[in-house]
Amino acid sequence: MKTRLVSFMVIGLLVISGGISADTRSADQRVRDGFEYYRGKSSEAAVEMIIHRPDWRREMKMTAWTRGDADSLIRIESPARDKGNGTLKTGKDMWMYNPKINRVIKLPPSMMSQAWMGSDFSNNDLAKTDSILNDYTHTLDKTEEVDGKQVYWIKSMPRPDAPVIWGMQRIAVREDDIILAQEFYDEDLELVKSMRCYDIKMMGDRLYPVKWRMKKADAGDSYTELIYTELRFMDTLSSTIFTVSNLKNPRR
Amino acid sequence: MDITIAWRNIWRNPRRTAVILIAVVIGIWSMVFMGALMRGVEVGMIDNGISTLTGDLQVHSRNYRNDPIVENSIREPELVHAALSKVLPPGAHSAFRVRLNAVAGNARHSAGVTLVGIDASAEKAVSFIGDAVTDGEYLSESDANGILVGQELLETFDTRLGRKIILMAQDADGEIASKAFRIKGIFQAEMKATEKQFVFVSGSAARKMLKMGNQVSEVCVALPGHRNSEAVVADLRRELGTGGEFEVNTWRELLPVLNAYLEMSNSFIFIWYVVMFVAMGFGLTNTTLMAVFERMREFGLLKALGMRPARIIRQVLIESSIILMIGMVIGNLLGILSVLLLSNTGIDLSDLAAGVEYAGMSRMIYPVLLESDILVSNLVVFVLGALVSLYPASKAARFTPIQAMAQT
Repeated sequence: MKTRLVSFMVIGLLVISGGISADTRSADQRVRDGFEYYRGKSSEAAVEMIIHRPDWRREMKMTAWTRGDADSLIRIESPARDKGNGTLKTGKDMWMYNPKINRVIKLPPSMMSQAWMGSDFSNNDLAKTDSILNDYTHTLDKTEEVDGKQVYWIKSMPRPDAPVIWGMQRIAVREDDIILAQEFYDEDLELVKSMRCYDIKMMGDRLYPVKWRMKKADAGDSYTELIYTELRFMDTLSSTIFTVSNLKNPRR
Repeated sequence: MDITIAWRNIWRNPRRTAVILIAVVIGIWSMVFMGALMRGVEVGMIDNGISTLTGDLQVHSRNYRNDPIVENSIREPELVHAALSKVLPPGAHSAFRVRLNAVAGNARHSAGVTLVGIDASAEKAVSFIGDAVTDGEYLSESDANGILVGQELLETFDTRLGRKIILMAQDADGEIASKAFRIKGIFQAEMKATEKQFVFVSGSAARKMLKMGNQVSEVCVALPGHRNSEAVVADLRRELGTGGEFEVNTWRELLPVLNAYLEMSNSFIFIWYVVMFVAMGFGLTNTTLMAVFERMREFGLLKALGMRPARIIRQVLIESSIILMIGMVIGNLLGILSVLLLSNTGIDLSDLAAGVEYAGMSRMIYPVLLESDILVSNLVVFVLGALVSLYPASKAARFTPIQAMAQT
């Protein structure tokens, strides 16, 4: 009798833990995995950026390289008048190059909160991509099912002394680590801007949301959309790509 | 005897005398009063300038004023400390600060500001911030993340007490340092521009954020009664050596625009006096001339009796001098009285704040009387007044008995 009871409990525990062990990662781990998944170890991508405003619209084509969490290089390919403009980020530093004036400038603090290339992304959004991993504590907010897959909404609150302007971020990560949304809130927990990633397709070696749309909450019909047209992941990229001289004089 | 006759002559036609008197009184009153107002504006601007972080004098590292970046900090503040303790007169206060350009931001807004890292207790005695906090609290000595922001910045940032503000600035290593601060107090200043420009954090927090060790950007000194800043600066320069590491400046050098304005303002007051006088002088000449013509028969008679022209001139001059003096006494009394009435309440220009601020003036004007201004205005009126009476007087002296008889 006694042994039966014990074995019931053991079986019951096994069943419960087995059910959870399907996906028991912590919220923190989920965010980390999500960012790892979309950045890869290194990547090379062709991206189209559409800046949409109620009365005008601008399209740009660019090439982007990333390596690890911290390094990235973006170069504008078209339209012709913006061709050659580039942004380089290594570690915490960021540089911009404008071929018309043939100048590389290191971004001063005063320019960090300005819009990048006139889009709804700020320089800070680019410079501090890893901030979400280091400056926040993540908790699971809710789980929902979309197209037969679990989507985890994770609430990220900044650590007390973290130098971040947001009061909260919410991130939606699908069970296969694809990030579907990132929302930015102010300290009153009102939405400031949000990014949606959709149109998931096979890109390179993995499923990837091809369209990313950043929209300010109070901006009406204005948004910036990134469309990945080509994407390749690799183990590493040469260090010479992420240098100021390569920003200025492209070697490829 | 001349004076008695002159006195009687004046009151022979009281209405005419009253007209001249009123002209003189209004002239003097406006000179005294407007002079006091202009001085009041000046004093307000000086106080404003000095208390808005300038102080009576400042010590910087040599290049800081040309390029206020973290590399141009005072590396050895102890040297300045030692020199100050030797040189400063009793009652003087000094404050060591970090003062650099930074960017403040929150979720929705960002703006360029001047980050001022202050030594909370020392700063109180030197600049306005000590008692400008109207909401929340003043910084404590080693506040790790408290920040004081101006009312105006608070409104543009759409934030409130207890909320976060992120400051970004270049640190001593040339990297971009950023740190989160919480709004601990809200200050109000004389000028909206001040409220918008400056944010205050504790010196220790600023130095830690910017990796400055114990360096400071500037040392600010307030002298008792705002006097002798030139002498103290000379002493300090000697004490700190001429090696070129330090730069010591008085507020006059630190606020060149204000200084230029003050110098210009002196000439303005004098020009104002002359303009006032020209308006008054024409009235004076005209009325005196009229009086002289009315009294043509009298002067003709005096001439016929053998009075010398010089005495007639003297007679007329004495008469107008007496009128001028009476007018001056009344005008000065009125002027001083109206200044006294206003000196407590002041003139509130808040409704015109935007324009007033553009000119760098404070919102309240408290008129200030200077003895020298009163003296100059009275002297101008008396000397020029006597001078313009010379013309009617000489006219009177030139009447002949024949002319006088022809006049009916």
